[in-house]
Amino acid sequence: MADILINVIIAFLAGSLLLGLHRKIMARVQKRPGPPIIQHLLHSLKFFFKETAFPKTASMPFYIGIVFILAVVWVVGVIVGPVTKGSLLILFGVYAVYKIVEHNSGSSSGSPYGKASCVRAVLSAATELPLFAAVVLVYLKTGSMNIGNIISYQASNGPLAFSIPLAAIMFFLLLLAKSPYSPFAITKDKTLVSGFETEHFGFLRGFIMFSESISWYVMLWVFLTIFFGPLGVVGYVVGMIVITFITGFINAVTPLLNPNHSVMSQITLGAACFVGTVIMILI
Amino acid sequence: MLNYLIYLLTFVIGSIAGLVYSYKLHGEPFVADSSLNILYCIISVVGWVLAFNSSNMLLGGIGFLLAGFVMGGRPGYGRKETAIGIVIAIIVYLVLHFMVSV
Repeated sequence: MADILINVIIAFLAGSLLLGLHRKIMARVQKRPGPPIIQHLLHSLKFFFKETAFPKTASMPFYIGIVFILAVVWVVGVIVGPVTKGSLLILFGVYAVYKIVEHNSGSSSGSPYGKASCVRAVLSAATELPLFAAVVLVYLKTGSMNIGNIISYQASNGPLAFSIPLAAIMFFLLLLAKSPYSPFAITKDKTLVSGFETEHFGFLRGFIMFSESISWYVMLWVFLTIFFGPLGVVGYVVGMIVITFITGFINAVTPLLNPNHSVMSQITLGAACFVGTVIMILI
Repeated sequence: MLNYLIYLLTFVIGSIAGLVYSYKLHGEPFVADSSLNILYCIISVVGWVLAFNSSNMLLGGIGFLLAGFVMGGRPGYGRKETAIGIVIAIIVYLVLHFMVSV
């Protein structure tokens, strides 16, 4: 229990700092000073002490419950990932539920912005296809869905990023889609204000930011673990910072894609990488 | 894992303290003083060297606290000092490991 609690707090703090770094990098690329790196963490904490208002159009108790479901989902992600090194399938399930939460969070508020974001959340489920394909390819290569076994496989055969690089690219696409201000972040398009989060204020928004920080940490941890073999703490820290740098650069110089283009780009890239990896495995 | 949690917490506490102190020092709406702050530089070097090279949880925690204090300053302040601190800490780390392996 203590191990879970420690890992959840680490995931929250590290994820918040990485998302703060992400904002800083984007700002520097755009020649702005940008906020301090701890700004994302301060924002998250600040929302817990802000006044919470509930819209009259909100669908209670779903409107509140969905936020806690989001937090629970990513705490489960921490337990299955860094704590127990369990099954990749459960992590895939966590990501699928996250998409459902994104969808329902928008629809439960009653806001037109939330509803538009909710519809886009259905479209953006396309990111799950490359994730699913990457998981399948990792299974085909290693013969296991268990993260612990995948780490052992890489310890004896080398990192999967070198043997199935296209699968790693597919997973990276998911990270890119999940990162803030991503070209694929159609649910949080600025024309929709804050998308599915628009009508969530106060501690509800605090929980959403808490969950997002944990999710960024978990996604990076899973990517580094299943594609870059057994890593030490320094390896994880450097890897997470490098990926945050890369996604920050890409997001700073890339405009948001139209929803249709976003979905088609991800599916096309995912399909190309899947076929390429299958050919590489067969050859 | 508890030691990593303590490192993270001390870094965050140091960053918050650094941000508050930096705003007290510099209330201007723009970066008014971009020169190298020697005191900050020393704090940064000590902090990063301790953070990178100390296997002791207490010393490592103090290191991250000091490193966070300088790095967490108001945007535009503490950047050069942090860069110098990290570079020197990496050099110290490499020298120590080279000496141990030789």
